[in-house]
Amino acid sequence: MSRIHLLSPRLANQIAAGEVVERPASVVKELVENALDAGATQLQIEIDDGGVALIRVKDNGQGISKEDLPMALSRHATSKITDLQDLEGVATLGFRGEALASVASVSRLTLLSGTQDQDHSWQVTASGRDMATEVTPCAHPIGTTVEVRDLFFNTPARRKFLKTTKTEFSHIDDVIKRIALAHFDISIQLRHAQKVVYQLHPCNNQTAKEHRLGQVLQPDFAKQALSIEAEASGLRLSGWIGLPTYNRSQADYQFFFVNGRPVRDRVVAHAVKQAYRDVLFHGRHPAFVLYLDLDPKLVDVNVHPTKHEVRFRESRLVHDFLFHQLHKAIGSVRPKTADLSPASLPDSYLPPPVPLGSPSPTQQNEISWQPAPRTHYEGVNEGAIAAQLQALPQLTQGTALPTNTQHPMGFAVAQLHGVYILSQNTQGLILVDMHAAHERITYERLKSASDKQSLQAQPLLVPLAISATAFQTETAEQQGETLATLGFEVTVIDDNRLLIRCIPAFLYQANPEPLVLSVLNDIAEHGSSHAITSARDDILASMACHGSIRANRQLTIAEMNGLLRDMEATERSDQCNHGRPTWVQLSLAQLDKLFLRGQ
Amino acid sequence: MIKFSVPRESLLRPLQLVTGVVERRQTLPVLANLLVVLKDNQISLTGTDLEVELVGRFSSDSLGAEGEITIPAKKLMDIVKSLPDDAVISLAIDDAKAVLTSGRSRFTLTTLPASDFPSVEDEPDTLRFTIEQQVLKKLIDATSFAMAQQDVRYYLNGMLLELTQDRVRTVATDGHRLALSTAAVTSDVSDKRQVIVPRKGILELARLLGEGSGEVEVALGNNHIRVRTPGFTFTSKLVDGKFPDYERVLPRGGDKKVIADRAELKSVFGRAAILSNEKYRGVRLVLETGNLQVLANNPEQEEAEENLAVDYEGDNLEVGFNVNYLLDVFNHVQGEQVQFLMADSNSSALLQDAEDSSALYVVMPMRL
Repeated sequence: MSRIHLLSPRLANQIAAGEVVERPASVVKELVENALDAGATQLQIEIDDGGVALIRVKDNGQGISKEDLPMALSRHATSKITDLQDLEGVATLGFRGEALASVASVSRLTLLSGTQDQDHSWQVTASGRDMATEVTPCAHPIGTTVEVRDLFFNTPARRKFLKTTKTEFSHIDDVIKRIALAHFDISIQLRHAQKVVYQLHPCNNQTAKEHRLGQVLQPDFAKQALSIEAEASGLRLSGWIGLPTYNRSQADYQFFFVNGRPVRDRVVAHAVKQAYRDVLFHGRHPAFVLYLDLDPKLVDVNVHPTKHEVRFRESRLVHDFLFHQLHKAIGSVRPKTADLSPASLPDSYLPPPVPLGSPSPTQQNEISWQPAPRTHYEGVNEGAIAAQLQALPQLTQGTALPTNTQHPMGFAVAQLHGVYILSQNTQGLILVDMHAAHERITYERLKSASDKQSLQAQPLLVPLAISATAFQTETAEQQGETLATLGFEVTVIDDNRLLIRCIPAFLYQANPEPLVLSVLNDIAEHGSSHAITSARDDILASMACHGSIRANRQLTIAEMNGLLRDMEATERSDQCNHGRPTWVQLSLAQLDKLFLRGQ
Repeated sequence: MIKFSVPRESLLRPLQLVTGVVERRQTLPVLANLLVVLKDNQISLTGTDLEVELVGRFSSDSLGAEGEITIPAKKLMDIVKSLPDDAVISLAIDDAKAVLTSGRSRFTLTTLPASDFPSVEDEPDTLRFTIEQQVLKKLIDATSFAMAQQDVRYYLNGMLLELTQDRVRTVATDGHRLALSTAAVTSDVSDKRQVIVPRKGILELARLLGEGSGEVEVALGNNHIRVRTPGFTFTSKLVDGKFPDYERVLPRGGDKKVIADRAELKSVFGRAAILSNEKYRGVRLVLETGNLQVLANNPEQEEAEENLAVDYEGDNLEVGFNVNYLLDVFNHVQGEQVQFLMADSNSSALLQDAEDSSALYVVMPMRL
């Protein structure tokens, strides 16, 4: 029979390390956060072999005095909080006092530190099963360096689960990215295998910040993003959100910071997803870097050891605030300048120029020299051609084009194959997919008309009994009024069954069961539901699709110009309802390049 | 070997009705075919989609040997349809091919063996009654429009047929409105028997009953309903489910009785519907003594206002309805006058022919 005994300090720390230290990246995160909490303004991070061989984090913070050094490596020891009240409003990144002890227990750790009021610096190491500390003098400027070597040397199980050097480094890189985006005032140098990966300078203005965004993410991110700045009821939101056309196949460019702390939160994710609804192409993810600042008392960060998750006291308020701000920002996108063209073609999209002197493809010859067959014009309204011919001279006679600020979409020149509108503006040529553009315009009109009308409800003659979880029935019982504002009337039969008595009128052909359940889940989780609006929008979207001009409909110049003006006035007109772009800009410079002009 | 020859018109009607049952797209090739059986000096054609089966019978003077075979349904019908009216059509099976000749035309069709053709088994213990063909047709026509279409509540995608000792009743509902029609019959059912006939079966049966007259025999089995007319046998599977208790849905205690002319109602609501919301189809009825006002508006803020003199005395009432549901009722009521019975703006309305209460319609109001 085994007896009960106390675990040795090292083993206890190793167990704790299991929660906090998952892979080299988590060590980097802990160390960098400590440096930041120490008030550092310069960080040097050195990594070797994906962090397994060496992680060295050097800062210029306040340092640790000699007396505190042994304490620094023991568990539940911290300078960041002292009593429960501090815990309720944590302003530092760390506070649990576990990180260093945990890391020290699974690696060979050396901590070097110098403070302002000591004449020289000291270093400390911990070894053995009791983690006995040894303090020796050393040379170090003011600040702290933590050197972690041979991570997981004594926990082979962990080491086996490590991935390749490249993967582990990319996780570290991700951590540094988050830190770099959260702390623009700090200079950061990241080296891997003695090569500088980033050298980031402190940023004190918007341009410098956008430059850093470009360094950390993609060089064109800032150009393809909208800057956001909003404040309401104690919440402050700032940052950048990618234009709907700048989307990613993975959710990798999604950075959210709550009081400077990077978090992943379901409430936030849901709000963002809702805001990007119907502008994002199916299966794509938006890119964003957002900062939410609020009273630390209104958010609980002590939810998870790695602090990836937080809990908002007023999650509904946060959700709605985020949704409205983002929705507004995305809705405000209008065709403005060539820079913001939703799908401006990068140079690489252009076909390589045909070498001079080589014969041009025969097909081109046919198109340019043979008159198009007569059948091509069948079904064309003669009047439409006349109108087009009348309109053409006005443009070719060199009428001054109005400035872009007035009409960024320019003026229609012609229609191509009954599908695209060619328009010229001061930058060059614009191609518009007329069905996609008109679909968006019709859709936005239907939506705003439908928003104005009060919700109409259709009571059911034969009520529909559905099965639900106990949680859902409870929500239905408590939130009857919220449901009523959405056009539902649901009564509870027993713990597992609900009776739908009334549904929103426009859904009379839909199956109400999944809808009611998803509304209940949304209400329980976020306090409100967009499921109804989104179901309505689906219906409106299909109406818009059928009610919009189709390909092969010949348009007159006047009609095309009307469409362009509508696009300028319509919210979210850069994408159709399915997230496809509605227009592209080909600048004169790009066109010149095609023809090797001026080279 | 099967062989027969008939004038075109005696082949065309059974062929058209039977082919109507056959689905256009098939996974089982034999279901695209018709079963042709020559037996007892009679030729029968059978089409099925495994849910509904229809057998048409006719006779001919020049018959070959008894036998059975299956022939592509759609092609056979298209050929027969496009032959001249007075053509005489001969069909002969020759070495697994069907050869159809008429005058100077000759068509050879592929066949599949009759043994592949699915058949509905005869059920014992069936309950039988006879009913006048046009009465049955009227029962179906008065209610079939209210059947649900592809509803998740599968038992609503059909029509309830309820038989008691002295009457037969059809009920259909899609969960928003309900139609009910009753006729007198005599049967030996002890208590009450309810079956649900699937939507497709009802539509095919209505087509079959057409203009014909005379008695038909209806047999209710556990899994099937069978209707026999002189030339045809119609069989449909039944929907296995419980139909909602329609008695509880019929509103009681309505005290606001309105009587109005059906043709006028139809045109008034038809005009108002133009400016009602495309999706909700909501219209508002404002009822005061002697007058019914119908209001509709759409998201573009366009409005329709119609006034109609009605026979009504009582308190004012304002209530919303889906205009399509009301128009459906006006289109199916037989008489000149329609009677509304309502209680308030939240409870369902009972509509019927003012002189005849054999058909009742219940429509749920909308909250506008």
